[in-house]
Amino acid sequence: MAFHFPKPTPEQSTTTADAGLADSHHHERPRGLMRWVLTTSHKEIGSLYLIFSLTMFFIGGIFALVVRAELFQPGLQLVEPEFFNQMTTMHGLIMVFGAVMPAFVGLANWMVPLQIGAPDMALPRLNNFSFWLLPVAFTLLLSTLFMPGGAPNFGWTFYAPLSTTYAPPSTTFFILSLHLAGISSILGAINIIATILNLRAPGMRMMDMPLFVWTWLITAFLLIAVMPVLAGVITMMLMDINFGTSFFSAAGGGDPVLFQHLFWFFGHPEVYILILPAFGIVSAIIPTFARKRLFGYASMVYATASIAILSFLVWAHHMFVVGLPLVAELFFMYATMLIAVPTGVKVFNWITTLFRGSITFEPPMLFALAFVVLFTIGGFSGLMLAIAPADFQYHDTYFVVAHFHYVLVPGAVFAIMAAVYYWLPKWTGHYPHERLSQVHFWLSVIGVNLTFFPMHFSGLAGMPRRIPDYALQFADFNMVSSLGALLYGASQLVFVLVIVMCVRGGKKAPAKAWEGAEDLEWSVPSPAPLHTFETPPNFERPVH
Amino acid sequence: MWSVIKSVLAAFFGVQRDQQRREDFEHGKPVSFIIVGIAMAMLLVALVALIATLAAG
Amino acid sequence: MRTLLVRVAAGLTLALISPLVLANGWNMPIGVTALSREIHSLHMTIFWICVAIGVVVFGVMFYSLFRYRRSKGAEAANFHEHTGVEVLWTAVPLLILVAMAVPATATLKNMYDVSDAEIDVMVTGQQWRWRYEYLGEDIAFTSNMSTPREQISGEAEKTENYLLEVDEPLVLPVDTKVRLLLTADDVIHSWWVPELAVKQDAIPGFVNENWVRIEEPGIYRGQCTELCGMDHGFMPVVVEALEKDEYEAWLAERKEAAEQEAMGVDREWELAELMERGEQVYGSICASCHQADGSGSPPAFPALAGNTDMLDDVEWHIDTIINGVSGSAMPAFRSTLNPVEIAAVATYERNAWGNDAGDTVQPSEIVELLEE
Repeated sequence: MAFHFPKPTPEQSTTTADAGLADSHHHERPRGLMRWVLTTSHKEIGSLYLIFSLTMFFIGGIFALVVRAELFQPGLQLVEPEFFNQMTTMHGLIMVFGAVMPAFVGLANWMVPLQIGAPDMALPRLNNFSFWLLPVAFTLLLSTLFMPGGAPNFGWTFYAPLSTTYAPPSTTFFILSLHLAGISSILGAINIIATILNLRAPGMRMMDMPLFVWTWLITAFLLIAVMPVLAGVITMMLMDINFGTSFFSAAGGGDPVLFQHLFWFFGHPEVYILILPAFGIVSAIIPTFARKRLFGYASMVYATASIAILSFLVWAHHMFVVGLPLVAELFFMYATMLIAVPTGVKVFNWITTLFRGSITFEPPMLFALAFVVLFTIGGFSGLMLAIAPADFQYHDTYFVVAHFHYVLVPGAVFAIMAAVYYWLPKWTGHYPHERLSQVHFWLSVIGVNLTFFPMHFSGLAGMPRRIPDYALQFADFNMVSSLGALLYGASQLVFVLVIVMCVRGGKKAPAKAWEGAEDLEWSVPSPAPLHTFETPPNFERPVH
Repeated sequence: MWSVIKSVLAAFFGVQRDQQRREDFEHGKPVSFIIVGIAMAMLLVALVALIATLAAG
Repeated sequence: MRTLLVRVAAGLTLALISPLVLANGWNMPIGVTALSREIHSLHMTIFWICVAIGVVVFGVMFYSLFRYRRSKGAEAANFHEHTGVEVLWTAVPLLILVAMAVPATATLKNMYDVSDAEIDVMVTGQQWRWRYEYLGEDIAFTSNMSTPREQISGEAEKTENYLLEVDEPLVLPVDTKVRLLLTADDVIHSWWVPELAVKQDAIPGFVNENWVRIEEPGIYRGQCTELCGMDHGFMPVVVEALEKDEYEAWLAERKEAAEQEAMGVDREWELAELMERGEQVYGSICASCHQADGSGSPPAFPALAGNTDMLDDVEWHIDTIINGVSGSAMPAFRSTLNPVEIAAVATYERNAWGNDAGDTVQPSEIVELLEE
């Protein structure tokens, strides 16, 4: 039997979803808590991911505030060095694996099917499973705080042998929790790839996909490539700790540097896993509010792919001072400098899109513009860090802390916030409160810069990372950072307020919530009904 | 073959004419692009490694 | 008009930034070696390149944001993709990077050239102190942070070199190429002195090389930069650079002191003498884990006060100090401490904080044990 797809007119395309709902032949839906536990809807699972991520963002944020509070003044005031190390470690792990990654997966769950005209993810039950692994994994990780000997205290990079021979007993639980989070990521990635490759609306070719879809496709391949490496390295740790092997113990003939090679072979692509979807989001938002087509769609796709490929060739730039041979040092320096090229291409494309546009400054646009500026500043410090001889001075100082927080906080996190503001009307049917969103934006921008900009100076002046107390000449920088962190942390309560208000009510949003928005998600009603695109839309290429 | 290599090179550099791309997507086979792409990526690694070795002298 | 605007903007930005980047304590120190100056100049070059790119990119961006606001009636143009522009903005950054890679390569090669060193110093990282061994000179000592715990806890006023002062600095002569061989006994540490532009990981099982040639006498301070556990923040590096003749005098003095100490091994020590010496050793070596009052912080670091295992079995006690406990944070002090120090600290631990073993451990016993 051949399927016949009616060719929808624009009016029809907004009603296909309703029609799909009417003739659906679904079972009685579970209610209450079980509805969320058993759900296979990409929209509900997307929401679960996002709520989980927000919770982790606050838990990780509280850990960061403990760190900043201790560093407010020289001397030890609030916590012991042992607990301080647990806080820096847990902050990093929670933010990377619990907040930023699940936020992007949540956005992918919600938006990838809507942007490609698919009724759901390709593997809905697997989708449910990959989400519910996360609360288990992170409950386990957080429970280590209450174990004898305390939580992991060796930094989020958990270098052996500090994380093996010299680690607290809770390390085995940390390994298990990371395994669970890793499985969740791999399954999520498989699901996203299957969805994008198989469920695109008839007529939508790869080069017609929105950039958020493209960047996520490439990110998903990165995840599948490197999460097993992480699984391998933590399994080797597990064996060293519990089964008497000596992969990373020099005393038993092992090699502590091998750990770093394996970790960063995972870790560097991981960095791009945290930023590529952000590129996709910004590439959706800027054209919308500049009311102008993205300047170089194809070169954006190529640049994303180039960054992904190069990300496998630069891992040892995290290891410039471990004593690599000169040739290796040069190779990784050159390869790292090359990454600046496609990254620059992206920034140039965004700016050329703005040039001669018709620009308005709604909340998603504010965050996207702040992303471009502040991510670029993080890129500049990245370029400086790529210069191997200079890295001998920068390495493991607050300059590095400033660098990766600039690309991750006003980078990845601002992009996530931009995405939330951009798609909230689609999710809830209401616009977020404009004034409060602006308050959130300005407080966040000021807070982020107060927190992280002084770290460039303290790092250059000689302050190492991960120290609970510091010499007197770093006192002023640290005080400013701590105040900024408090402001940034507190202003996220405004974010929660905006989201809660938006879910409960507010100005009604039409199907096409933003005037300049073009992609398929804007053809379904706001809020998007539980079932959309049960009949595939016929994708028509926008004519310019 | 030559046009595949040219297209992969263009993709590495990040700039391609729209018309050429349309032709690639209509007439090219994905497999050939993937194979040539992987080979070129390895060549790039070899090239950077060669430069590094020469520079280390 | 437009170019004028850009120029004014660029000028203002430079004017705003330059006092910051040039101010002392806000930027990478220029340092006191030829290499540190080279690295500093690389740093400033790449910094100004970034500033220049930033001025152009952000200039265009903010100009667009200002000029093409819809509230001012801007209408969107419809253009996209321009091969010439795209080739240009790929090729120009590539050229800038090549230009940057050339001097960076030269400096790196210079850093890796450890040949023709006149002095070799072995630097060993241990939780949480540095040990320096002058190869071929028979001189070795540990360098511990000397900032009193009262300053850290806030019970005493913090002094000028808070957290950056040690009991015994690494002493080096000026105008002499010194090769540093770095390794570690337990976890990975990293030895860094910003003004010497030397940072190198000290890794157990590996010996890394680096070198330094200091040009000005003075005291240069740095810290461990690789997270190495609880007291990672309290592991300073201090290098004292002396004129060559002063260095020779220092070397002679150290050798004589070492001989004195070696002679002390053979004689019988009084309890009071051992206690005095032991308290000093305990304070610099043991107190960071086992606490000044011997209370420890269980379970990782057991209490020594009232520790019956230790008090009842003196052989086990000494063996623990000499050989450590494998698989725990307790290191072997076999090579870190000399026999007098081991004997003194063992005696001290057996007789301090209400412990009343009443016995002494003599240096001669330790010498026998070490020779076994």
